[in-house]
Amino acid sequence: MTEPTRYADRPEWSDVAPIEQYENTNPLAPIFYTNEYKDATNYFRGIVKIGEKSERVLELTEHIIRLNPAHYTAWQYRYETLIAIDSDLGKELKLMDELAITHLKTYQVWHHRRLLMLKIRKPFPELEFIARTFKVDAKNYHTWSYRQWLLAYFNDDELWGAELDFVEDLLYADIRNNSAWHHRFFTVFQSGVHEGEEDRERVLKREMIYVKQSISLVPNNASAWNYLRGILEQSSTPYSKMITFVEPYTLSMDEQTADLVDLDNPPPSKGAHLPCALAIEFLADIYEVQGGESMLKATELWKSLGNEHDVARKKYWEYRIREGLRALQA
Amino acid sequence: MAQIDDNYPTPTSTSQKSTIALLVKPDPSTKPTPIQSGILDVNLHLGYLGRHLLQGLPARYTSQDASQPWLLFWSFQSLSLLKVELDQGNKHKAAEGILAMQNTTEGGFGGGPGQAAHLLPTYAAVCSLAIVGAPDPSIPEFVSPWTRIDRRALYRLFLSLKQPDGSFRVSSNGEVDVRGVYCLLAVAKLLNMMTEELVRGTKEWVKGCQTYEGGFASAAISIGENRWAPLGEAHGGYTFCALAAWVLLDLEFPSSPSGLQLNLRNLRRWLVQMQGGKDELYGFRGRTNKLVDGCYSWWVGGCFQLLDKLELRDDAQTPDVIWNPEGLKEYILYAAQHPAGGLRDKPPKSADMYHTLYNLAGLSAAQYACQSAKASTSTTTLPNSSDSPSQSRSSSETPSLTSSVSSASASSTQAQASSTPRTTLTPQPPPSPSLNATDPLFNLTKTHAEAMMNWFREEHGEDFR
Repeated sequence: MTEPTRYADRPEWSDVAPIEQYENTNPLAPIFYTNEYKDATNYFRGIVKIGEKSERVLELTEHIIRLNPAHYTAWQYRYETLIAIDSDLGKELKLMDELAITHLKTYQVWHHRRLLMLKIRKPFPELEFIARTFKVDAKNYHTWSYRQWLLAYFNDDELWGAELDFVEDLLYADIRNNSAWHHRFFTVFQSGVHEGEEDRERVLKREMIYVKQSISLVPNNASAWNYLRGILEQSSTPYSKMITFVEPYTLSMDEQTADLVDLDNPPPSKGAHLPCALAIEFLADIYEVQGGESMLKATELWKSLGNEHDVARKKYWEYRIREGLRALQA
Repeated sequence: MAQIDDNYPTPTSTSQKSTIALLVKPDPSTKPTPIQSGILDVNLHLGYLGRHLLQGLPARYTSQDASQPWLLFWSFQSLSLLKVELDQGNKHKAAEGILAMQNTTEGGFGGGPGQAAHLLPTYAAVCSLAIVGAPDPSIPEFVSPWTRIDRRALYRLFLSLKQPDGSFRVSSNGEVDVRGVYCLLAVAKLLNMMTEELVRGTKEWVKGCQTYEGGFASAAISIGENRWAPLGEAHGGYTFCALAAWVLLDLEFPSSPSGLQLNLRNLRRWLVQMQGGKDELYGFRGRTNKLVDGCYSWWVGGCFQLLDKLELRDDAQTPDVIWNPEGLKEYILYAAQHPAGGLRDKPPKSADMYHTLYNLAGLSAAQYACQSAKASTSTTTLPNSSDSPSQSRSSSETPSLTSSVSSASASSTQAQASSTPRTTLTPQPPPSPSLNATDPLFNLTKTHAEAMMNWFREEHGEDFR
């Protein structure tokens, strides 16, 4: 197809009466649509009015979606049409493969895909497709939530089977990819217990080692610290269990004691920027829970954050001091 | 905290680095424009808004064709924050335009005339009508467009979108997420339609969206009895929607202290962690390890006021300010203002209506937080090290230390949160004009929100069922 011919000029559309968006009014903030878009949406309104569901509606809605993938009414009507005329949903999914990559950030491409999957019910090839889109954008929110929905909804042991390796690859490519960290948490702790993961103590230990090694490599990575906090809270493990690990990160590079290699407590890497504010915060949290004398140690750490290591958040650290002292008095 | 790469670059730290390079405050020695001086250029932005409203939007806005009520809401609420009201003629035109998007068969509003009903444009349409449609007692013959909102049909639509797990679809066959839930609740509150029947189970679902990081995800999926898995990581936009939804619900149907509660401690921590450091001009990011963006000035910056609403049921209490509102102003004023008008994500991007509103709303939140911070007397303040920010902050409030400043800046809320040593203090710019406050539950001014709530409560109590 060269120039798209206007529906107004196509005899096979002559039975549809196009409907203008605004008749006899001139609205505020009008959009200067192209003629092509105006023509297509005029005919779409005409089709919706008569309620036609047919093959040509698929052509028309695809045309509109390509011009404006956020046109949710066109998507909605397209889906109803696909179902009404019993269209080949596999073919539709193929089309979506293309549209998802071009319009990665549109809600509708992912939601439509989900509706199709609820009918097709073949989630396996989807994992592969999603992995490909992460090559374009490894933090795309819609893609991640679609993947998590797919896994949790179909909840098939085999489907979950390679998920941890998949996350590991993404974290290897970018240790700061918070979407991947979240997915790890989702997979290991928040979606039920999957095959091979029944020994929860072993799983927790494995995750603890994983996140500690990650912090050791790149200490100033909020994603990893949040993951550590997350798994401790999830498993009701007190933060204080981490004190030996955390302390070196609260010191400067000069203060590091060259010790024997302790696999449970990997030290900061040579290139690390120390002291690490996230570690100081963590240590203060440990002291705060201990209360009593330790609360004063916590307030000292909060002071050092507010005055030196994390000055931008001074008001927050002042708030933590107030709360800490209040708890001490109570 | 300042972004430090531990000598271990990855794609995240590389894009972080190139963003920081774009976030620079101008050299104070050059002859600055208002923007370069860190002042809100009100006239420039009014020009931008007026141009778009009256002359229209270029073809690239076709992507917003299904968000027409939003284009209006972003404009009208930006004007409200800037203390500007439309004239009667344009208010009338606006109201007619919005009512043309009401879906007469489904109820609610669509993204444009003839479009399907959808919770998001319904919120934008109702909020726009709150701004332009208030009844005017001085003109008795004026029939408020509020009378033409079909609440019966709207309530039916709401119930039809409700899911067994307490959530809502955004439209027929549409997706489920916290944006839709928030939009529905905000509208239900404004139009006095918040019934127990409507929101049964919704609180549980919203709580299920809270992630281990403290912020909220787009949605949650049930994985068994009272167990939820959030779909997606903690995100600024979804966190705002979830928290506002929670507060709307809790004000109406309070949880008992031992009942359903959010993890506020983790939420507070996550919110403050979203604020960037000095090298990011203290802007907000929307997710851990992502880039700062002006729109989170509101989505994250607005959350602190929501927390105050939740924790201080008594308006007389002064809230604790736990974030850095002085800092946020730097991002909005230096980086987010576009030299040609309107506000934006970050340089060198162009401005758009969405970012214009959410930067202005964030600025409004920052201005009011700065006032509370000053009003608060019982605060613990850290002893200052020689060049700490609170030192320069207090200096800037003392005219004698800020050479060659007009007396107006004595009350400036424009203080710098940078750690500029006292000796090199540059003259402070005069203060930016103060914006109207915005009610974080709706992002409407208190006047607009209350007028609408009162009218629907008094005139049209229960007649939607």
